[in-house]
Amino acid sequence: MGRSRDTADRAPRGLVLVCVVVAAIVVAPVAVTMVQALQGGVSAAATSIRASSSLTLLLHTALVAVVATPVCGVIGVAAAWFLERSNVPGRRVWTLLVVAPLVVPLFVTSYAYATLGASLTGFLGAVGIIAFSYYPIVFLLAAASLRVMDPALEETARSLGLGAWETFRRVVLPQLRPALYGGLLLVALDALVEFDAFVAFKFQTFTLSIYAQYQLSFSASGAAALSMFSVVLCVVILVVESKLRGDANYTRISHGVRRQTARYALGRATPAVLLGLGALVTVSLGIPMGMLIYWFTQSSSAALSSASTSLQYLWPATLTSVLLGLGSAVVAIVLALPMAILAVRYKGRVPTILERSVYLSFALPDLVGAIALAYAASHLVHVLYGSVALLVLAEAMLFVPFAVVALRSTLGLIEPALEDSARSLGLGPLRTLWRVTVPLARPGLAAAGVLVFAFALGDLSTAQVLLPPSMYTLGTSFWANSRTVAYAAAAPYAAVLVVLSLVLTYVLMSRFGKVRAVEGA
Amino acid sequence: MAELRCEAVTAAYGERAVLGGVDLVVPEGTLTAILGASGSGKTTLLRVIMGFLRAERGRVLVGGTVVAEGGGVHLPPEKRAVGYVAQEGALYPHLRVGQNVAFGLPRAERKDSARIGEMLELVGLPADYAGRRAHELSGGEQRRVALARALAPRPRLVLLDEPFSGLDASLRVETREAVLRALADAKTTAVLVTHDQAEALSMGREVAVLRAGSLVQTSAPTTLYRTPADLDVARFVGEAVVLPGDARAGHVRCALGDLALVDPAVAGIVHTVIRPEQIRLGRTDGAQGPDRAGHTEPAEPSGPAEPSGPAGPAGAPARAGRVLSRTYYGPDVLLHVDLNGHVIAARSFSHDAPDVGDLVTLDVSGPVVAFPVQPGDPLAPES
Repeated sequence: MGRSRDTADRAPRGLVLVCVVVAAIVVAPVAVTMVQALQGGVSAAATSIRASSSLTLLLHTALVAVVATPVCGVIGVAAAWFLERSNVPGRRVWTLLVVAPLVVPLFVTSYAYATLGASLTGFLGAVGIIAFSYYPIVFLLAAASLRVMDPALEETARSLGLGAWETFRRVVLPQLRPALYGGLLLVALDALVEFDAFVAFKFQTFTLSIYAQYQLSFSASGAAALSMFSVVLCVVILVVESKLRGDANYTRISHGVRRQTARYALGRATPAVLLGLGALVTVSLGIPMGMLIYWFTQSSSAALSSASTSLQYLWPATLTSVLLGLGSAVVAIVLALPMAILAVRYKGRVPTILERSVYLSFALPDLVGAIALAYAASHLVHVLYGSVALLVLAEAMLFVPFAVVALRSTLGLIEPALEDSARSLGLGPLRTLWRVTVPLARPGLAAAGVLVFAFALGDLSTAQVLLPPSMYTLGTSFWANSRTVAYAAAAPYAAVLVVLSLVLTYVLMSRFGKVRAVEGA
Repeated sequence: MAELRCEAVTAAYGERAVLGGVDLVVPEGTLTAILGASGSGKTTLLRVIMGFLRAERGRVLVGGTVVAEGGGVHLPPEKRAVGYVAQEGALYPHLRVGQNVAFGLPRAERKDSARIGEMLELVGLPADYAGRRAHELSGGEQRRVALARALAPRPRLVLLDEPFSGLDASLRVETREAVLRALADAKTTAVLVTHDQAEALSMGREVAVLRAGSLVQTSAPTTLYRTPADLDVARFVGEAVVLPGDARAGHVRCALGDLALVDPAVAGIVHTVIRPEQIRLGRTDGAQGPDRAGHTEPAEPSGPAEPSGPAGPAGAPARAGRVLSRTYYGPDVLLHVDLNGHVIAARSFSHDAPDVGDLVTLDVSGPVVAFPVQPGDPLAPES
C-alpha cells in the first residue's frame, strides 16, 4: 500500500550504496558459514550431514514450520478482525494481552510448558509453542492493515448485500494479503531456525541437531555444513512468498474518508468470542505467567538460599540486558531505515533484491550466525572480537527484518510530496531525511525500536556465544539456573524479563495507535 | 425502485446529536440532492439510511417497508438493498473492472459478461473496460464503474456520497451527465449528497438543504434559488448581494432603488437579496450600456442612496457607482462596484465589461426576495 514514486524514478546511488553495505553486513554470516562448511572439503561436509540423520530432522523442522505457520495466520487474522471490526468488549485490554506473548522470551514460555508436564512436549508441543508465540506478528500486521483500510470498501460490500463473513472473505481478506504474507514469511523463517523455544522440549529439530553437533564435537564446520540446509530452505520460502505475493501489492486507489469503519454487533456470539480470546491469552500468556508465579512461591521455601544468592546478581544482569537491548535497537534502526526507504519509495529489481536479502538474517540458527560473526571478527576485525560491540551488532542483525517491516508500514503512509517539497525548499537528501522523514516516521521508529529491544532482551543463543565471559544477562542467568533445575532461582530473572516485556508491549501498542495520525499528515 | 421516506429521524454520535428530526420524501424514480456545508450532518443521514448508524428516533422507510425505527427495527445494511457510491468510488483494487461491476450479483451471474457489458454501457463506458484494472481508470471512470456496481443488483435506492469530489471541472460535468443518464435509464430512486450548490441545483429534481442536522428547505431547484426559506439559505445556494431595505406594499426600498418583491406580504425592515445576475450594468458616459437597451436617462452621480422619485414598478431608476475590482473568468467577469458605501457584486459579459475605476449605472431586473430582520440583528429597530 506504499505510495511509491513513479517507476521511472531510479533510486539514488548513494541510497543504493548504503543498502548494499547493509545487505552485505546482514548476509556476511551466511557467507562465512558457507566458507566454514567447505573448509574441510566437500566430502567432509557430506559426511557430517549423513552422520546426523539430518534428513529426518529437516523433515521435523519443515513440518513444524508448515503446520505452525498457517495456525499463526488463522489466529492472528481472526484476533485482528474481532478486535478491529467487532464490538467485543474490552478491546484495548485484549489488544495488549494478545500482543504480549510476542515479547515474552521464548525460552521462558518453553520452560514453563516443559515443567508443566511431559504430555505437552513432542511435535504438537513444538507446533503449539511456535503458533502461540508467533501469532502476534501476524496480528500486528493484520490489525495495522485493517486500521488503514478504506472503510468505503467494506461499506460498499454490505450495501451490495454481503454479510459479515462474505465481506471478510471477498473484500477484507484480499486486502489483507500483503500484510498476511509478510507476517507468515516472518513466522515461517523464524520457526525454521528457532532454538530457544525448543530448548526444554524433547523434540528433535534441525536446529537442535546443529547445536548438538556444535557442542559435542565443537566442530564449527559440521554445524556449518548442516546449516546449509536452513539457508536453502530460507531461500525457497523467500521465493515462494514473492511468487504468492505476486501482484497483491495493490495500489490504493481511493483514500476514502478517515473515519472508523462501522463495527459488527456480535450479539449472542459475544460470550463465544470472549471465550476464544480468553483461551488464546490463557494458553499464550496465562500459563507461562502462572508457572512463573508457581516457581516464585517455591523460592520462598525450598530454594530460598539459592534464590536469595541469585538476587544480588539480578540488578547487574538487568542493567546489562537493558543496555544491550538499547544498543541493538539503535543499530537495527540505523541498518533498517535505508532499506525501508528504498523498499517503500522505489520499485524495480535492485530495491526488491536488496530488501529481500535482509531476510537472510533468518537463514542461520542464531548460534551458527553468532559463531560465524565471531570467526569473521577474529580473522578480519580483531578489535571487535570478544567485545560487547560484536554482540550488539549480532543481535541487531538478527532482528533487522522486524525493524524493516515496522518502518515500512509507517514510511508507506508518508506522502512522497512532503519529501519532494522539502527538496524544493533547498534541503539535501540527508537533511530532508532528518527534518521531514524521521519526524513523520516516529511511530514506526518507536515500534521498530521497541520490537528489537524486546527481542534482544529475550535472546539467549547469541548472547551465549558472544557475551564476554565476565558478563551475564537476564537470559543467560535464567538459563544457567534453569539448566540445573534451580527453577526457583531462575524465576526472578524470568520475572524481570517478563515485566520489562509487558511494559514494552504497552509502549509498542500506544505507539501503534498513533500510526493513523501520520496518515492524516 | 422505491420511494424513500424519512420521518423525524434523529441520530447521534455518542453524546453529540448530529441529526435533529429529519423529514424527507424522495418520490420513486427521482433524484433528490441533499445540500449542506461540511459538518451539517449529510454523511450521518446517509449512514442512517444505509444502516451503518442507528436512528435514535423516527423511522426510515424504503418502498413502504420500515428499515429503521428508533429503538426498534434496525435492518443490517446488507438486507436493505440500498446501493452506495462512495466518495472516490472505492473500487476493489484486487479485482478487475468487470469483477467490480459484478461484485454484488449472485455467484452464477458474476461471469455473465453480457450483463457486465450492459452495466458498463449504462454508465457510458465501453464494454471492453471489463478487463482493466481499477487503478488504470481515470477518476471520472472510477466513479462511473462504482455506479455500475451499485446499480447491477437492481437496488431499491441508490445513495451517492459526494460522487464528483476531486474531479476537475470538465470531467465533473461529463461524469455528472453520464451519472444522470444512467440513473434515468435505470429509473432509480437516488439521493445525492453534496456541498456544491451548482451540482445540487443542476442534478436534483428536488434539493434539500441540510443545516446543523435539520432540513431547512426542500424544494425544486428554481424555487429554492428564487425563494429561499431564509437569508442563510439564500446565501448558501448562490452568490447574493444583501442590502438593508424597507419593505411595504410589495416593494422594497434599498440602495439599488425601489424593487418589486417576490412575496408582497413581507413588510418592515428587511435584508434584501439580489442575485448578481439580476444586476444590469450600464455606462455613465452617455453611451448606452451593453445591457440596457431602451434606457437613455442619464445616470446619476454617486450620491445619496435614497430613491428620489416615487416608487415605480419594475423599472426603478438606475444608480451609479465606481468599479472597485474586476475578476476575469473568460466568458464573463465578476465586478465589485462601490455604490455609496455598499459593495455590490455584479456579473458582466467580458467582451465589453467596464474597467476598474469606471463609473457604471446599476439597475435590477426581476423581483427580489427579502427577509425581515430578526431581533438582535444590528439592523433591527430599537425596541
